[in-house]
Parts: sequence; C-alpha cells; structure tokens
Amino acid sequence: MLINNEFNEEKIQSPLQYTWSIFKRNSLAITAMWGSLILILITLFADYIVPYAPSTQYVKHLLLPPYWVEGGNSAHILGTDDLGRDSLARLIQGIQLTLGGALAITIAVSILGSVIGATAALTKGLKASILHHLLDALLIIPTLLTALILIVMFGPSYENSLIAVSLSLLPQFIRGIYISIENELNKQYIISLRLDGATNVRLLRFGIFPNILEPIITLLNRIFTMAILEISTLGFLGFGTQFLDVELGALIASSIVLIYSSPWLVFFPGLAIFIIILVFNIFTEGLRHAVIEGEDL
Amino acid sequence: MALLDIRNLSIDISTAQGKVRVIDKASLTIVDGSIHGLVGESGSGKSLIAKAILGLHNANWTVTADRMFLGATDLTKLSANDRRKIMGKEIAMIFQHPRSYLDPSKKIFSQIKEVLPTTSVKKLFLSKIKRVPEQSTQQRIKELLHKVGIQNDQTVLASYPHELSEGICQKVMIAMAIANNPSLIIADEPTTAMEAVTRAQIFRLLYKLNQLHSTTILLLSNNFGSISNLSDYITLIYSGQTVESGSYKQIINSPMHPYTEAMIKTILEFDESISHKSQLYTLPGNIPSANQLPIGCRLGPRCPRAQRSCVTNPEPLNFKGHVISCHFPTLDENQHANTSQRK
Amino acid sequence: MLNYLFRRLNLLFITAFILSVIAFILTYWSSKNTLADADAGYIIQYVKYMSAILQGEWGLSSIDQQPMLIKGLTAFASTLELCFIAFITANIIAIPLGIFAGLNRNSLLDYLIMTIALIGLALPVFWLAVITTMLPRLLGIPLPIDGGISPVFEIPVVSGFILLDTLLAADTYQLDAFFNRLAHLILPSSVLSLFLITEIIRLTRHSITMVMKSNYVKAAYAKGLSRKEIVFRHVLKNALPPIIHQLRLQLSTIISFAMVIEIVFSLQGSGVWLLSSIKEGDYLALPTAILIISGFILLSSIFIDILLMIISPIKRKSLYVD
Repeated sequence: MLINNEFNEEKIQSPLQYTWSIFKRNSLAITAMWGSLILILITLFADYIVPYAPSTQYVKHLLLPPYWVEGGNSAHILGTDDLGRDSLARLIQGIQLTLGGALAITIAVSILGSVIGATAALTKGLKASILHHLLDALLIIPTLLTALILIVMFGPSYENSLIAVSLSLLPQFIRGIYISIENELNKQYIISLRLDGATNVRLLRFGIFPNILEPIITLLNRIFTMAILEISTLGFLGFGTQFLDVELGALIASSIVLIYSSPWLVFFPGLAIFIIILVFNIFTEGLRHAVIEGEDL
Repeated sequence: MALLDIRNLSIDISTAQGKVRVIDKASLTIVDGSIHGLVGESGSGKSLIAKAILGLHNANWTVTADRMFLGATDLTKLSANDRRKIMGKEIAMIFQHPRSYLDPSKKIFSQIKEVLPTTSVKKLFLSKIKRVPEQSTQQRIKELLHKVGIQNDQTVLASYPHELSEGICQKVMIAMAIANNPSLIIADEPTTAMEAVTRAQIFRLLYKLNQLHSTTILLLSNNFGSISNLSDYITLIYSGQTVESGSYKQIINSPMHPYTEAMIKTILEFDESISHKSQLYTLPGNIPSANQLPIGCRLGPRCPRAQRSCVTNPEPLNFKGHVISCHFPTLDENQHANTSQRK
Repeated sequence: MLNYLFRRLNLLFITAFILSVIAFILTYWSSKNTLADADAGYIIQYVKYMSAILQGEWGLSSIDQQPMLIKGLTAFASTLELCFIAFITANIIAIPLGIFAGLNRNSLLDYLIMTIALIGLALPVFWLAVITTMLPRLLGIPLPIDGGISPVFEIPVVSGFILLDTLLAADTYQLDAFFNRLAHLILPSSVLSLFLITEIIRLTRHSITMVMKSNYVKAAYAKGLSRKEIVFRHVLKNALPPIIHQLRLQLSTIISFAMVIEIVFSLQGSGVWLLSSIKEGDYLALPTAILIISGFILLSSIFIDILLMIISPIKRKSLYVD
C-alpha cells in the first residue's frame, strides 16, 4: 500500500467525465442504457423492422399462438390475433406509438415546463403568485380527469390523447422545476453571481442548471414513466388511437375478450410496457446515482 | 502517561478515480490530563482523524493503524457493541456547526436526558427502600446546564434546536459531552462561525473543564493563534501528514519544521518589528487538492527548503518528545541544548 | 400559527375559485344549447351557477334524471373506500420494508426490496388488473372479479361507503353482505396497493437514507446510543414528515389509478360512473366530478399540511421565516 509513493498520472477529470466514470462501473445501468437506445431505435425505424404490415390480415392464420407453443407457426413468431394480423408487427407498431408518444411528450413537457418554471421562479410578485395558484389548481385535478375532459371536448384521437397527457403532466413538471430552482436561488453562490451582474439566462445556465441535474433527472424519469402509463391507460379506455394504428394499451383492450383463448395477446403488450419502463428507470436511476456521487466529492 | 496513542493512522477513501490516501501515517500521542491542539488548515484531515478515533466513518473509508489505544483499550479491535459502550462515556465529541448535530424534532431536555445513564430498575427499587437521596434527572440536567454557563435553563430545555443560537447549541453540546465525565473530549473546531465573546466563553469553559476535572481535551482548530495559548501540546498536520508535534514551549520556541515556522509567523502579535501595512508572511501556493497530492512529503512543492530527497516520506525524528517529519529540519544545536537543559 | 392558517385558507379559496371556474366553463360548454339566458354576461352566469352549486342544485343527470350531486358523491365514496383499503394495506406492508431497506442500504435484502418496488412501478396498473381478473379462474380461488357487491343484496345508500352501509343493513343480511362486499374489494385493492407499496417503499427508503446521513444521527452514534435506539428515537420521527408530504402530492395519481381499476373490475365508483356518463353523452358528470374529486383532494391536502405542521417542529420553524 504505497499509494503515496507513486505519482497519480491521471488528469483531473471534468465533472462530466467523473460522472461518466462512476456510471461506467454500474454494469446494470450500462445494460439498461443500451436497452433504452435499442428501444428508441425500434421506435424510430419501426416501419423498416416490422416483418409484415401491421394491418395485413392473414385469414388462414387466425389466433395463432407464439411459435414455441404447440400449433404455432415460425412465420408469425408471436402468433396472430383474431383477424389474422401478425402480433409481432402490431407489437412493434404499438411500441412505436406508445414509446414515441411518451418521448415526444417528455421532450415537449420538459422544454415548455422549464421555460415556464424558470420564468416563474425568477419573477416575483403578482405574476408568479397567479401562476402558483393556477398550478395548484391544475395539480389537484387527477390526470385521468384532465385527459377525459380534453378528450370529451376535442374528440378521441391519438394526437388528442397525447395533448391531454402532456397537459396533465405539465403542471407536475413546472412544479418540480420551480421548487428546485427556488431552492437553488436562495444559495450564496447565486447571490454572488447576481452581484456580478449576471443576466437571468446566464444565471440559469451556469449557476442553477448544473446544480439541479439530479432533481431534473428524477423529474424527467417520472414524467416519462407517467406518460407511458397514461398513454396506454387512455388507449386502454378507448380514448387513444382509433381504428388501424393501435398503441399498446389499446392493443390490450382489443384482445381482452380473448384473454382465456389466447392470453398472450394480452400478455405481450403488457410485457412490452413493463420492459420499457423498467429499462428506462434502471438507466436513469444509474445516471442519478452517478450524478449524486459525482456531486459528493 | 499517554491517554490516546495513535501510530501510523492511514485513511483511504475510495473514489471513482481509485483510492485516495487522505490521511498518511499520522501519529498522535495525547498525554492524560492535557489540552492537545491539533492544528491544520481546513481540508488537512483533522476532522477525519477525529471521526476515525470515534469510528464514525462511512463505508467507503479504509482505516488502518499500527496502534490505536485509548488507555488500555485497543480501538482498532473493538466490536461495534463495545465501541458503543465507550462512546459518550470514555470519549465524547463536540462538533462544529452544533445546531445540525442536534435532532431538530426533539426538545433539548429529552436530548440531554438520553445521554444520562438510565437509572436501572434495581437501583430505583433500592432507592425507594433505603431512601437514598437519588438526584432527580431534572436536577442533574439543570446542574449540567449551569456548569456550562446557561442561566435560563428552563427556557433552553423547553426549546427546539432551531430556536437557539449556535453558541447556546454549542454549550448544550458541551453539557451533553461532559454529562458522563468522559476521560477524553474531542472538540472539532468548536467555535467556527461564532462571535468573539461566545468563542472566548467556549474556550474558557473547555479550559475550566480541563483544570477542574482534569479532562483530557483534543482541540481541533485551523487557527494556530486561537488555541496556541490554551494548549499544553500541539500537533500540526498538513494534507493528512503529521508535520510536527511537541509541547507548547517546544513548538513556539524552537519550531523545526518549515511549515510550523510559517504558521507561527502568521500569528498576529503587536510586534514592533512588523511595520504598518507590511505584507504578512505566508507559504507560497495552496493546499493541494485531494486528487492531486504530491508524493513523498506533501509540503514539498511549497516548501522553501525542499530538495530532491523530499519525494520520499520523511521518517519522524524524535527529540525528547518533540517529533518532526522533515528531511531538513531546523537543527539549531544551541537552542536544543537550551531546551534540554531547561527540562 | 393564525397567520399560517390564514395563508392556507387563502390558498384554499383561490384554488377553489379556479376549480369552480373550470367547472363552470365545462358546464357552460356541455349545456350551451339548453341554457336559458345565454344572452347574459359571463360573470352574471357564473354568479348564478355558483349560487346554484352552493344551494346543492348541481343539475340532473340526462340519463336517469337523478340529481348529479347525489350520484357523484355515491360514486366517489365507493372509490374512496377502495383507496382507503388499499392505502392501509400498502402502509402496513411498505413502511417496514422501506425502513428496512433504508437502514440496510446496499445489502442483499435492500436490493431485493428495491427490485420488487421497481417491478411494481413498471407494471401498468390496468394490465395488472386485467391479469388479476384471470387469477381466480386459473388458480381456482373463489373470489369475485366483477362488480361491487352481489346483486342479491339490496343495500340502502346511507353513507355511500358500501362497507359501512352493509354494516348498517346488518339487520336484514347479518354480516353476509359485509363479507360479500369485502370479497369484491380484495382483488381491486390489492392491485391498487401494489402501486402504492412501490411508491411508499421508495419514499420511505429515500427519507430514511437522508436522515441516516444527517449530522444529528452521527452525534447520536457519538453519544453511544445503539442503532435501535437511534432509529426509534431520532430517525423515524424525522423521516415521517417528508413521506407524508410526498404522498400528499401523489393523491391525485392514486385516485386516477383507482378509477382505472374500477373500470376493469366493473366496480361501481367514479371511474365507471364517469366512463358510462361520457359514453351516454351526459357531460354534466365532468364538472361534477371535478368539483367533488378535486375538492376532496384540495381539502385533504390542506388538512395534511396542517397535520404536518403540528407533528413536525421543523415545519413550524418555517412559519417564522416568512
């Protein structure tokens, strides 16, 4: 143990490199990161991956089980549904719609929410107070109710369900961002930055943002998870995608009557949602840990 | 008599960049009944040593020591249970920022009460029969508070920590520390962020404790000047290495390590030799960061006397209790002859 | 203290006002063709609407001409019953697990508990409910999966909480109706409580870890207290308020999930009521639901706020600050 008697050749790492070197040690998180990447790639290139067009009906093969179950057909790996449509193709399309929707919502909500939240935190007085109370009111309306109202007013469609979910998640995100910025604003180094004459944008970019990474990651993860769950819930209740394009929740709802004759039609879409949430959660949890540990030293 | 004897204590903290040796073979010998000052700049590892003595370390620390004895007990070989029995009874600790070390959801009364030894059922029974005048807990707590100089005990006892000032909180901490008459009190910068009057009060309190109860006190400080007149012995620490250690007279009169010399020069005195608005003496450079520690003697890059051999760890030299770790100490033979004669 | 109460009440009124405006807009939108004095200004109409609401005239359902208020309250009471049972079960299971995980961080059991919690979070509630409806037939457990109570029992609605009502009607059916209702609630409430368990474990573990890292716990170790003493005397009391605070924010999510579960199990409650009303075009159910459900959440969050302030001295400190 002569740690002291050899010179440490490594350069001082930047915070980002340091966080990455902590993250790298967590093999589970790395696996989850690749998993998330693959899922995102599936979402982006779903149209090229699908083995069959999702809406094509193979009338000769109705209700095929997955190929490893007796009576299955290796042409349709996950079997077919009651109209003879390929389950795998529909599943991939479902993943594309659900995950893609959730990612779009997360991005939209985070951009819009950050702008509103930061403005609210940096302005004082009446405007902030009005926003505060409005947010409070929106926060206490259950998300499902918000979604129902919007869908009743504008009619059920995939786009409307996405808008409804974003609107119900937006207050949560604004609230989270607002609280973390507010906590940061009271700290001494922000005051000293202010005294240096930093503009609000500069204050946010260099003073606040690097210090609220951890709550932001937690918040994004939460918004993403809730978006997946809510999109599929709305789809399940029949307020999401209509007719041919079907996302995962609607996929489950459409096969629910067949639950005893071919349970895998219900099982696989649920499993897909499960895996999506699990993979992204492990990834962000690993990231959060790395950020916390990086901040500790 | 050495109450606390630590030899070659090393602490390694594992980080993402590998292990960092934050404390490098520090040695500390504390004489029974003395006030021992442990002086080092902030970040030099004083608190780490204190925490290692108490065993309050985190999971990512590796603590190794050749010898770590409190009286006759070996602190390195203590089980968690035995250590618990020593803590609070043999060693007590006073922290910096005392308010954060008090439970925010409990009143001061119940926090002090839990330090006091619980009266066992048997004792309670005996006192009932024999009518031994058993001192009530209330009374004992009141006495403790008076001892540390809190007059309005009723108000303080009924308060939550956030309602009290840092100075009062520190006095409460001291009251809790002395409740069981421990043989060693570790005071970790007990007066940071306190105004001068409170600081003087706290120091006077610690001094009185030492004089009246002959409690040994390990006083950690980043300011050589503030504790030097209080301590019987002083150890200086730089970047996790013990630099020089000896009695107050030895250190002040004949500092042998360049770092000690620099520290003594930083003490502000009303000295005629310092002209008005002249620059005060400091070592060049800064304390190295924990992931860029120099090899060998860690003072090396800043040391005015550094030479090639300084890249190896200096062996500690012992001149009659005056221990220094330096390759090129100030060895004024006359001065040493003098000090040894005086003894 | 009074100042604090005043501020809370202030918040209550403003939020209630915003809610009522939303409800008014919805009512206006859903009945714009049938409104008598459509020419009057918005403000006058709003005042009229509010006075009607305050007098308890919430309009009639277009399906069966029943008063909306009664229908909404009855449905929501049954949802609350489900939430309540799930909440109690979840707390009994999750809080000890969360405390254990927080105290033994990075141990094998901690990983196990956290894995279970993560799996519980990732399982979509409606899917789990659908799978659960299969269980009785697959495993041969004699549990009902459909409806709120067997139709043989005719329970008069007194409180809306069917469990209570069955007890009140004990003269006619003894406890049969009560147990029948309980059996109907077992599966839905276990699905809901699984979600709650994951949330509570996560929150408890986080809160406990934060407290264990704090300086006063270190000081307690230095005092020579045993781990058990530290946990019971210092950790639990300080870890509880953040958990309650976070759960308060989850209230609307819990009710959302309860409504979805009700729909899957066709359990009478606000979920089924809202869905059927919307499908039949009875849109007046929406403002009614907003007023009832959000009103409930609003009142209970203010109640929780005040409760937190009473149990936690740290919160009380903030009263002096601003």
